[in-house]
Amino acid sequence: MTSKTSPHNGIPQLSAQIAPLLLVCALVFALPLILNNDFLLNKIARYLVLGILTVSLALSWGYGGILNLGQAMSFGIGSYAMAMALKLKTIPVHTGSGGLPDFMVWNNVAQLPWFWMPFKSLGFALVAGVLAPALVAAALGWFVFRSRVTGVYVSIITLATMVVLNLVIIDQQSYTGGFNGITDLAQLELFGVAFDAYGRATYYLVAGCVMLSLLVAFAFTHTKAGLVVQAIRDHESRVRYFGYDVAAYQIFVFALSAAIAGLAGMLYTIVMEFASPTFLGVQISLSVVVWCAVGGRQSLVGAFLGAVLVAGMQGALSESAAFLETWTLVMGALFVLVVLFLPKGLAGLAQGVWRAIAQRRQATQEVAGTVGQTREGSA
Amino acid sequence: MTRHLHLRDISVSFNGFKALDGLNMSVGKGELRCLIGPNGAGKTTALDIICGKVKPSAGSVSFDGVTLEDMEEHQIARVGVGRKFQVPSVFRDLTVAENLEVARARRPGVWANLRWDARRAGREDIERLAQLVGLAEQLEQSAAHLSHGQTQWLEIGMLVAQDAELILMDEPTAGMTAHETRKTAELFVRLKGRHTLVVVEHDMGFVKAIGDVISVMHLGQLLAEGTAAEVEAHPDVRRAYLGSGGITNA
Repeated sequence: MTSKTSPHNGIPQLSAQIAPLLLVCALVFALPLILNNDFLLNKIARYLVLGILTVSLALSWGYGGILNLGQAMSFGIGSYAMAMALKLKTIPVHTGSGGLPDFMVWNNVAQLPWFWMPFKSLGFALVAGVLAPALVAAALGWFVFRSRVTGVYVSIITLATMVVLNLVIIDQQSYTGGFNGITDLAQLELFGVAFDAYGRATYYLVAGCVMLSLLVAFAFTHTKAGLVVQAIRDHESRVRYFGYDVAAYQIFVFALSAAIAGLAGMLYTIVMEFASPTFLGVQISLSVVVWCAVGGRQSLVGAFLGAVLVAGMQGALSESAAFLETWTLVMGALFVLVVLFLPKGLAGLAQGVWRAIAQRRQATQEVAGTVGQTREGSA
Repeated sequence: MTRHLHLRDISVSFNGFKALDGLNMSVGKGELRCLIGPNGAGKTTALDIICGKVKPSAGSVSFDGVTLEDMEEHQIARVGVGRKFQVPSVFRDLTVAENLEVARARRPGVWANLRWDARRAGREDIERLAQLVGLAEQLEQSAAHLSHGQTQWLEIGMLVAQDAELILMDEPTAGMTAHETRKTAELFVRLKGRHTLVVVEHDMGFVKAIGDVISVMHLGQLLAEGTAAEVEAHPDVRRAYLGSGGITNA
């Protein structure tokens, strides 16, 4: 794809829009060069994964206008897919016949359940971690969007669905590990590389997936389908009278968002070395909304940085002695301030500052000819 | 003239109020039909029925032999029906160019629109359209920043971009200056022939400038049909507008 900078040619300023994205990716990749601390790198990798999750929400909420309060459901499904495969690769102490996971032995399960069988193949698990959340989202979306459910009702349905799945996982302890989740996992090994949670390889795997998800999301938002999705966000019924099947577009962006969240979930299992029902809990699901709003939901890079910065801050505050009791208040205050004063989040602030600088430069130079106009909401 | 668009015995009621009560109307191919009538006559509802926004409780709509009343809105649009709403309905967070691009729905499917080359192809078309509706300078501006008249023009441009065979216009000149109204009339006369137009309008000067045949509606039914002079002289029309100072002040 070639990009043209003149506003009257091709897709305007594609290169200008992708620049911040590539810059952020470069920083993510360069970080281990200056940071020689495996413990810290693991922690940062965790925030990066949460960043991917937040990008996935920006896609459905910021671009598609679908506020999915159950975004962590896709995250959790991906996380469990990876954990199930890695669990079957462990050499447990309390193993049953044919490498039966330890918690099944404790729960008197004699045979590996049918839905665990395919996870003996790592390839299946890797595909399922992305595809299963997408299919679940597509099925849910089919019911929701075909019936023209909109707005807050979509949020309630997605939240409720996630809570139900969460309860089922906790309840079915003998098959899912219940409240304890799936622990004591083997290391992921791909093409001869072992991904130790505290190793450089894992960090670069996460960094690569950050870049992949940002690029996929960016590419989608710049196709015509991505444009139609944004039009649906603005004025859903109007889009129908141009011949677009609105539900089909909503289902697609909902499923794409779920697939990216599933990828994040798989990485989270690798970085955390376990899967837990809290991964698809209400708390993380609502946190993602906060991160997305703070960073700027209509900006992919903004949402990503919002998650990394705020989750990083959350981590730092909750560990510091001074804020041990009050860090949730600090985060709450931050959210309220952003919602009140920065409706477009930090990305909107950055864009405003950038535009002001550009205008001043334009005014001082008084150049004849066209200066590239900045487009709204797409840094 | 062949029966291009045909509404037969259409009835629809909202909470007991009969908005349309056995409406019969035919429009020929390439015709520019104006639809007038007092407030509450059912003009907008008639357009809603054609484009699928409202489903009739009785009667049928056919367009080029296709029965429309059981189809969904997007399917009706794909058959070749475009609609401009009374309140200008554009995508405010998108730029003018993007608005026109969305409207230019040659291939409406999701998968077809995931291709990278799907966007570039239409760019020249979009610039030409923007020229046509006088928004060439605003191409990269967000639609939220347009004036009311410009927004009206943008939506008209979007309908031209859609290139629908049948275009339904609901009060397209509302909020326009006299100059803008004149320009709109010129554009409609140009569209006539290639497209079939049904225009709901209150401004009789505008109606006289563009309309061949005028349909007058009253109480959800067709009251009279004919040229401007004919309907103005029609005794039923005079009675329907009685007290409101005649048709010209409707």
